Amino acid sequence: MRETVKLISMEGFEFVIDREAAMVSQTIRSMLTSPGGFSESKDGVVTFPDISTTILEKICQYFYWSLQYSRGKETEFQIEPELTLELMMAANYLHT
Amino acid sequence: MEMEMEMASPLVRLCLEQACKSGDAVERWRLQRRSLERLPPHLADALLRHLLRRRLLFPSLLEVFKHSVEKIDLRGESSINAEWMAYIGGFVNLLSLNLSDCQRINNSTLWPITGLTSLTELDLSRCSKVTDAGIKHLQSVANLEKLWISQTGVTEAGISLLASLKNLSLLDLGGLPVTDRNLTSLQGLTKLEYFDIWGSNVTNEGAVSILKFSNLSFLNLSWTSVTQAPDIPHLECLHMNKCALLSISETHCSALSSLKKLVLSGATFSAETEAFYFASKSSITYVDVSKTPIQNFSFLETMTKLEHLDLSSTAFGDDSVEFVACVGDTLRNLNVSDTKITSTGVEILSPHVPRLETLSLSQTFVDDLSILYISTMMPCLKDLDLSMTSIKGFIQKQSPQEEEAEPSLAALKSLTSLETLSLEHPYLSDTALSPLSSLTGLTHLSLKGPSLTDFTLHSLSSLPNIVSLGVRDAVLTNNGLEKFKPPLSLRTLDLKGCWLLTKDAIAGLCKRHPHVKVKHEFVQDSTSLDQNQLLPRSSPPQSFAKASRRKNNPRPETSAAISRSSIDQRVKYNREELVALQDSPLSRLLPREGEFVSVPEILADFDSVIHLT
Repeated sequence: MRETVKLISMEGFEFVIDREAAMVSQTIRSMLTSPGGFSESKDGVVTFPDISTTILEKICQYFYWSLQYSRGKETEFQIEPELTLELMMAANYLHT
Repeated sequence: MEMEMEMASPLVRLCLEQACKSGDAVERWRLQRRSLERLPPHLADALLRHLLRRRLLFPSLLEVFKHSVEKIDLRGESSINAEWMAYIGGFVNLLSLNLSDCQRINNSTLWPITGLTSLTELDLSRCSKVTDAGIKHLQSVANLEKLWISQTGVTEAGISLLASLKNLSLLDLGGLPVTDRNLTSLQGLTKLEYFDIWGSNVTNEGAVSILKFSNLSFLNLSWTSVTQAPDIPHLECLHMNKCALLSISETHCSALSSLKKLVLSGATFSAETEAFYFASKSSITYVDVSKTPIQNFSFLETMTKLEHLDLSSTAFGDDSVEFVACVGDTLRNLNVSDTKITSTGVEILSPHVPRLETLSLSQTFVDDLSILYISTMMPCLKDLDLSMTSIKGFIQKQSPQEEEAEPSLAALKSLTSLETLSLEHPYLSDTALSPLSSLTGLTHLSLKGPSLTDFTLHSLSSLPNIVSLGVRDAVLTNNGLEKFKPPLSLRTLDLKGCWLLTKDAIAGLCKRHPHVKVKHEFVQDSTSLDQNQLLPRSSPPQSFAKASRRKNNPRPETSAAISRSSIDQRVKYNREELVALQDSPLSRLLPREGEFVSVPEILADFDSVIHLT
């Protein structure tokens, strides 16, 4: 079975995604891999009290897009202009 | 600036691009006031910069950034006027504002700056309408630490007003009529570390006051009548280009012992001062003595930490090479262009400078043998300038027959780090240059010569990493241009002086390859703006202008120089030669496909160029 992690948004929505996809974010990567440090590394659950559901969903989409892109599937990642500011801040926080 | 963007995460970059895709996109986020206020400063700064670059920024849009932005760089933007400044005056957290070369900035448009209480850096370089009255506005910006007002309209009276800005650590007054009295009045600026007064009216008498700036580490006295460097204990960088260094004061004791960088291009010396300025400077890493009358280079022996050495346009020759060899393996950059060095000198030097990264031998007598020495003994070379030398591209074997000549440039292949190569040289042929196509690491290559043809252009399309390619003054044809397949990495293609090319052919090239910036007399471009944007923020643009003017840049880029070169092109060939060119080998190098431009057409074009100018 593929390893998954759970990302929880500000409103409490849960996104279960492949661990590999979540690792696209340097921030999540260090949370999940730091030995004994974060509780996240044991449970595989990360909560983001500052990221809304809409934005976290977009972030998850980006993780999968980014994986595909790195494997040579060159499609465009669509971002609605309304989301750019919040998404930019989340991306900045997540180092993705 | 670009570096910051490189470092930003890929999704941040995508968001910035999407946010600045169109005016419509901007309208869809600009009302998200809460998000805008929460933007971290570096993202807000980046967004503003993107909007500006995409020409989507207008005064009232500035309003949304007033809480978040810390840094605004508007250099060279001719649209910046009182309305823009009124909005910028509300940026409560602004730390740095660059208005250099904004030609509409004047004293009254500067007024809103008085409200920028956080401001620590302000660049007004070359805002020529700013005068003493504008400086009065600056007096209320008490936190100002860095101020550039070079080449503005400020006079002696205005400069005196700066005395109240006690926090200044950097002050650039380049090109202003700074007087000795001014220096006395500015003595209270004890935090000053960087002081630039090139081209001022300061004399030896005033220069004594500079001693009061005890924290000074950078001083530029170029183009002044000062004849002796003030003895400042911690000075690390001294510029005295074009100064007559004729005397040494008796109080000199430390003899500028902390000096790391000494720039004396075009300066003159007396025998005594020459010895003084160069004796036992063991800490020095950077020396520029280009265009000086120095005859004796033995001072180099003591400069064991030297990394950068510019001896261009001096009496340097093979007999002085041993002194550079003494510097040895710390040396990274060496410029000996326009000197008497020959291949013999290069042979002596090459085993001693194994870590050399930049070498200019342009306008010297070095020949093809030098290429062999360079290629085998200087493995770290990244940047090599061999323009206007005696290099022919072939090394003659014993037998005088041409078949025996070996291509010399092939040896460059062993320089695996080589990125930039300049071979602007009228006598190099296509065949001589053909080994260049195997230098796959090259990112910048500039060639120039009337015997180069489409063959050279086409063979260079095999360079996989080339970013900037110049094939100037060559007899490239329209047909050849059409068949040219630029490598994907290519961003700039300089075809200036390729006079056979027509306006349509150039336009076609630009259209086929929109990512490539084509330079040619037929391309209308806004180079001035681009150049401004390329200037790194850390160094004041003023020093660039000065450098190119003072150091007599070997690659003049002024518009005057361009138009001169195009005149040369027109007188270079007469009608008979043009007719002869129709059957020249260059047209046979390409598969005959489609129609060639007929000679009458070329002539018609040729005439129209003459009439236009």
